[in-house]
Amino acid sequence: MSYPGYAGGYGGAPPGAPGYAGFPGQQQDPLFGYFSGVAGQDGQISAEELQTCLTQAQFSGGYKPFNLETCRLMINMLDRDMSCTMGFNEFKELWSVLNGWKQHFMSIDRDHSGTVDPQEMQQAMASMGYRLSPQAMNCVVKRYSTHGKITFDDYVACCVRLRSLTDLFRRRDQAGQGVASFQYDDFIQCTMSS
Amino acid sequence: MAYQNQYRQPQYNNAPADQGFLWNIFQRVDKDRSGAISDTELQQALSNGTWTPFNPVTVRSIIAMFDRDNKGGVNFNEFAGVWKYITDWQNIFRTYDRDNSGFIDKTELKQALTGFGEQSYRLSDQFYNTLIEKFDRQRKGQVAFDDFIQCCIVLQRLTDVFRRYDTDQDGWIQVSYEQYLSMVFNIV
Repeated sequence: MSYPGYAGGYGGAPPGAPGYAGFPGQQQDPLFGYFSGVAGQDGQISAEELQTCLTQAQFSGGYKPFNLETCRLMINMLDRDMSCTMGFNEFKELWSVLNGWKQHFMSIDRDHSGTVDPQEMQQAMASMGYRLSPQAMNCVVKRYSTHGKITFDDYVACCVRLRSLTDLFRRRDQAGQGVASFQYDDFIQCTMSS
Repeated sequence: MAYQNQYRQPQYNNAPADQGFLWNIFQRVDKDRSGAISDTELQQALSNGTWTPFNPVTVRSIIAMFDRDNKGGVNFNEFAGVWKYITDWQNIFRTYDRDNSGFIDKTELKQALTGFGEQSYRLSDQFYNTLIEKFDRQRKGQVAFDDFIQCCIVLQRLTDVFRRYDTDQDGWIQVSYEQYLSMVFNIV
């Protein structure tokens, strides 16, 4: 079973990819420059620092900078050690994933308005490989749209959420069959903490 | 605005609120006199027992529940439902806030949620930690009134959807990836 968001285009580094610790080229990596500029001694960044980092790196380009809540979601998505902060390796992974999403968004946002309409959002989700029921898709669109449009920031928040839930599910789908079992307690807890 | 005080005990505990009384409140909450109470107006009228604004997510959930035609607010008829809903929650909250702290701590939360753990749905200690961690916006390790409502709303919805799939009622479900996404994505 191949899960959306993990192969090619929109996925990040595959799991188990070698880290960058000690890699000689790390110092020259321009991303490292942005990162260490905000990270400080512990080499970790918080949601606020991530927001600064992405803004300084002009990630959003012509789009508005990410709001803080979206940054929190991003940290949470990759927060394997539950520290609510992100190290450089995760940052690099995030960067590559974000870029994939950004390219995708830009390809739909043809008039460069910074927003897409609900139809385009549905198509975007489908082309990323997510197949939600029509009711779920309606709720997604309602929840992430403002005045009938979806901004880049909200689009990213939606993608982050989908990716977190997918990660969570994959970890329980040991056989890779696209099916998982949940006990009630576990179901509530992991859904709440995703 | 005095939802949180016992300013006037109803004469018979279970009698519906008097129409004139409700209309009075409605008019005061509907500040722009649009004939409907918006999210913002309702938020301003409610108190969570702290000086912080009432949880906007909770406000949205409540308005959405009673807003029959998706206008983004509630008219006077719908407001009667909102009023009762909030009053009921206040009663529940007061019942379980045994030490009258204005917050529900983990022990009190366990008692408040025993209904969710019925039948084969056994709840671990960690479960309550997760709930508080997720909903406690005041960061006190306890839940205020508005966060308590939101917690219960989400928990109820997730439990409902879980039960729909747990056809043999053993506390376990098996779902496909797409089912899982569709189940949870719009709730949490």
